[in-house]
Amino acid sequence: MSPLHLPFYSTFILSALGLAFHRTHLILALLCLESMMLSMYIALSTWPVENLTSTPMLMPVLMLAFSACEAGTGLAMMVASARTHGSDLLHNLNLLQC
Amino acid sequence: MNTPVLMNSSLLLTALIILTPLLSSLTKTTKISATSITHTIKMAFLTSLVPTTTFIYTGTESITSYWEWKPIMSLKIPISLKLDQYSMMFLPTALFVTWSILQFASWYMSTEPNITKFFLHLLVFLMAMLLLTTANNMFLLFIGWEGVGIMSFLLIGWWHGRAEANTAALQAVLYNRIGDIGLILSMAWLASSMNTWELQQIPPTQLPMIPLLGLILAATGKSAQFGLHPWLPAAMEGPTPVSALLHSSTMVVAGIFLLIRTHPLLANNQPALSTCLCLGALSTLFAATCALTQNDIKKIIAFSTSSQLGLMMVTVGLNLPQLAFLHISTHAFFKAMLFLCSGSIIHNLNGEQDIRKMGNLQKMLPTTTSCLTIGSLALMGTPFLAGFYSKDLIIENLNTSYLNTWALLLTLLATMFTATYSLRMTLLVQTGPTRMPPTSPINENNPAIYNPITRLATGSIVAGLLITSFIPPLHTPPTTMPPHMKMAAITLTALGLTLAIELSNLTQSPTPPQPSHMSTFSISLGFFNPLIHRTSSTNLLNSGQKVASHLIDLFWYKKLGPEGLASLQQTMAKTSTTMHTGLIKTYLGSFALTTLIITLLTLN
Repeated sequence: MSPLHLPFYSTFILSALGLAFHRTHLILALLCLESMMLSMYIALSTWPVENLTSTPMLMPVLMLAFSACEAGTGLAMMVASARTHGSDLLHNLNLLQC
Repeated sequence: MNTPVLMNSSLLLTALIILTPLLSSLTKTTKISATSITHTIKMAFLTSLVPTTTFIYTGTESITSYWEWKPIMSLKIPISLKLDQYSMMFLPTALFVTWSILQFASWYMSTEPNITKFFLHLLVFLMAMLLLTTANNMFLLFIGWEGVGIMSFLLIGWWHGRAEANTAALQAVLYNRIGDIGLILSMAWLASSMNTWELQQIPPTQLPMIPLLGLILAATGKSAQFGLHPWLPAAMEGPTPVSALLHSSTMVVAGIFLLIRTHPLLANNQPALSTCLCLGALSTLFAATCALTQNDIKKIIAFSTSSQLGLMMVTVGLNLPQLAFLHISTHAFFKAMLFLCSGSIIHNLNGEQDIRKMGNLQKMLPTTTSCLTIGSLALMGTPFLAGFYSKDLIIENLNTSYLNTWALLLTLLATMFTATYSLRMTLLVQTGPTRMPPTSPINENNPAIYNPITRLATGSIVAGLLITSFIPPLHTPPTTMPPHMKMAAITLTALGLTLAIELSNLTQSPTPPQPSHMSTFSISLGFFNPLIHRTSSTNLLNSGQKVASHLIDLFWYKKLGPEGLASLQQTMAKTSTTMHTGLIKTYLGSFALTTLIITLLTLN
């Protein structure tokens, strides 16, 4: 793989592994999602520069808009779970009533 | 001297004399009091006789435009005053009646601490009314119209500590506002179609019904025709001078005056004239029926006013504006006098307004009761008093015209009832045994009482003759008719008097009379107030809530938008939650394993 693409791939893989293996806070999962999105964004931006085509220049902005909505939804759900369960610790997401 | 200049300058002098107390109250230079304002209006009356006499002897009419208000360049709105027979005859009549009422009010309201403010309110009202009558374009007329409406509100609620007075004032403003919708509709139509608000620039061809219906609605609201009438009896909550000036002589005739001014527009449109005719006939009979069983002396006179306004509307519907104006002028004299006599009676009996608790006042208040009788006779159309010249001519024209028979029958029936309730009031107030407590001192020795009343009595005897002698008629009165038609008004009045005597004998029989359908209808004013006041507002508010709040706010903005989406998602989430087993570690571990395998596969 070319040295230009290596950082993108490794960032994406590491963030995906971070999303899979987090154990404590919900906000860590959201952060990993954000870094996955960031690596995809920079990759999408450098691809039309490499291939010297101008049509796919639109795609990063489109992806950014949708990922912003998704980040907002994720934060809202975290706030909602913090309101009901007291904090965003994953240990607290149970049905215990005491 | 050039006669239009003489007329206009004396009119301006009259207006300046009327405005002097208002301006000096603003600058606080001279002391003004009730008597000084009365003398000012007397001076204004004498000054206003100059342009009227000039008009009578030379027939000069003039239209004067002063200044132009230019909000947009295409519609010109000058301040233009028209001095023709209507405004020239109305001016001295209104000032004469106002002078008498102010002199009476200086006795009636003598214990009032804010008496000067009361008189200034009456002066502002008078200025607005005179502006309305001399206006040549709809804009100035609208200013006068709104002015009299607002002053009516302030004066009806003069004793604002009383809840019924506040309710009555609010009722007056609301009903007048419904009429104002019609006036503004006509003004808007005129401005957009004819590009003018001057009454001379409107061609008297066939006009569509919309502006004419707007004018008729305006007259219905301001002149208390049937449908928008309840505010007039309720307006009797105000002091008696207010009732005498506003709600008998001047303000309530503003609607009829509007129709008289714009009568060239109505003259060619027979459906509009028939609307006026039938509406006027209905309101005159309804008001006369309600007046038959009233026990408050001021309410009887208020319903009598409403009935006479219906008669004026009938005259407008017969395409006889000059006769309607004649009835306005003669009606002002005797109706104001009736109110002043009732004010004298009420004050002397220490606030008693129920005629069942009055009696035998002929011996105790001879001047007042004699003038009350003269006023009632003039109202009934007794030959050669003031009311005869207008009322008898109206009945003769009704009988000899080609019109709706139902309107004719209703008006004749109302003429009969006029005699009935007038005689009932006279019998119960003046004759019979004394039914009041003997503790209140009753005298009328104050010249502030008997001078205005006798002055107005003289007016209500000679005014008809004077006005008809000096103003040439615009149409030929009917000259030949069968004898029973000629005698119709007199016969009906005599029948009405007989009916009143029979009814009063009925109440003194050993067995009390049973309440019949007719008497229940009359006592409860046709059930109009409870039917309309509750249902119309409830329906309006209900439909408003359904459309604005339930439909638009709650449904379209919320359910079809974010909340609907949220509820859809919730349905799906609730269904799939039971299928989740919550093994997050297993899910994420399989995700990580898949990612690693794919990475290793693509490494080569």
